[in-house]
Amino acid sequence: MGNRYRIDLRKCVHRVWRLVHLRREAKGGVLACLLALLGTAAAAAPPLPNDPAGRVQAVPQPTPPHWIWVNDFVFPHMVSGKAMLVDGDAGRFMGELDTGFGSVRVVPSADGRIIYSPETYFSRGTRGERTDVVTLYDPAHLSVLGEIVIPPKRSSNMPMMSNAQLTDDGRFLLIYNFTPAQSITVVDTQARKFVGEVESAGCALVYPTGPRSFFSICADGAVLHTLLDDTGHAKNSSRTQPLFDVAHDPVTEKGVRAGDTWYFVSFGGTMYPVRIEQGNLKLQKTWSLLSTTDNAAGWRPGGLQQLAVHTGLKRLYSIMHQGPLATHKDPGREVWVFDLERQARTQTIQLKNNSGSIQVSPDAHPVLFSIFIESNVLDVYDATSGQFLRSVNDIGTTPTVLVNP
Amino acid sequence: MRWLDSLAEGSARSLAKRTSRRSVIGYLGALLVGASGVPILPVTRGATPPAPAKPDDKSKHVNDPTSCDYWRHCAIDGYLCGCCGGSENTCPPGTEMSAVTWVGTCHNPIDGKDYVVSYNDCCGKATCGRCLCNRNERDTPLYVPFQSNDYNWCSGSAKANIPYHCSTARIVSVAR
Repeated sequence: MGNRYRIDLRKCVHRVWRLVHLRREAKGGVLACLLALLGTAAAAAPPLPNDPAGRVQAVPQPTPPHWIWVNDFVFPHMVSGKAMLVDGDAGRFMGELDTGFGSVRVVPSADGRIIYSPETYFSRGTRGERTDVVTLYDPAHLSVLGEIVIPPKRSSNMPMMSNAQLTDDGRFLLIYNFTPAQSITVVDTQARKFVGEVESAGCALVYPTGPRSFFSICADGAVLHTLLDDTGHAKNSSRTQPLFDVAHDPVTEKGVRAGDTWYFVSFGGTMYPVRIEQGNLKLQKTWSLLSTTDNAAGWRPGGLQQLAVHTGLKRLYSIMHQGPLATHKDPGREVWVFDLERQARTQTIQLKNNSGSIQVSPDAHPVLFSIFIESNVLDVYDATSGQFLRSVNDIGTTPTVLVNP
Repeated sequence: MRWLDSLAEGSARSLAKRTSRRSVIGYLGALLVGASGVPILPVTRGATPPAPAKPDDKSKHVNDPTSCDYWRHCAIDGYLCGCCGGSENTCPPGTEMSAVTWVGTCHNPIDGKDYVVSYNDCCGKATCGRCLCNRNERDTPLYVPFQSNDYNWCSGSAKANIPYHCSTARIVSVAR
């Protein structure tokens, strides 16, 4: 066998030489010969080295801007909440954090050096003693750095960005409680300690307005503005007159912030900008996402995380669908883009799939992420041109809110 | 498109019932003084959509506690206990019924009456995962808790705490 193989190789070399130099095809053809020669070369190559054991990937730091955290409260198995990190450019799943029962969302620090996650655990799975913690994660290795025990009062609700927020300087983490009594847990991120609770009776969720202040929205449409001292305790609070029309056309709690202004949109598509002016909150002139024609055609904003904003470009993105007012949580197949300075629609992005949650990356060449809780396909678009770029399949079970790293 | 069909249908029902339910809820809200609640975690309507209703097959769903179209489910949000070992008014074995709830007013097409329905959650076990139903009629944001179906109302359960299993739809009174 080996002898015949050597003879065949000599013939092959001769045939190739005739083809190259005499431009004459030898009997038997050269293709088979070339394949044989290549096979010989492969056989002569050294074998693959053994793989080292125990190697674990790391996340590049800072985490690239086109990566995204997809939070999932895993509704059919709520004890197994998680947040998944996806590379929007490569379309690859890059890692995950396990975030406990009914998790809401991870909260990365502004400098990207740590990730905070309000979490709930029971000592026996779904029973036993309940413990609520803020888990601290290393964003480079997705490993646990530590945890801060907080009162077991964290609100269990459809995940919202405003369930947990950092103050503007990142010093205090604010977490909404519902037992059903309402309050806000304050955690000192510097000392890594629970500070205390701030009462917010009748008012829900957290919207930061400065390094030591935030507001909550009250059931009558007013907002409760709370000031903290440097230890994280409440220094002062004031309640505005009702800003929103709760009885007729309430704003959703899914507001987004660009600079000194929070933007809340009503079920019917009216935009309510709330501006922070010298420490006070001022409702700006309202405007509508809808033209008369849009309104007549039944267009509405909707979804779970229905708004996204790019502060630098002053562009606001809104998921839109057609339906009556009661469809305020429904997904949409279009994203409308608004110029916040002109308060006018400048672009319509046709979506490939239903969308209930969107997020836009904060960089100068942003991408738009889109996902729907009843699907698990993350779609990525060019946030400027609106061009569809790619889909990433099998991202979790019931993906909720999208968080930039 | 079945999904969209069911959406449109549910919404139409919602609008049709809005007026009477709003008035009743307002009355109840005064009575319950903040102890009221909403049922459950919401997922957008349609994960397990009811079959698209046609005029001639509504009777098939109207009295079925395992159907999202069941008349008592006009404001429910969660897994139907009728599919989970319980029923429209009982919790499955080993779970605990939440004390606080969200109430709705639903029209029973069989006797033509409106009923006040209390959507007590059953708590203390992992999510049932069967017959997901979400009808967002008159739902309000989280900052109006007693009308929001985005809360897990097992939050009000002292013993079982927040592990949510499924939702019931108990009749608590005739609305009128």
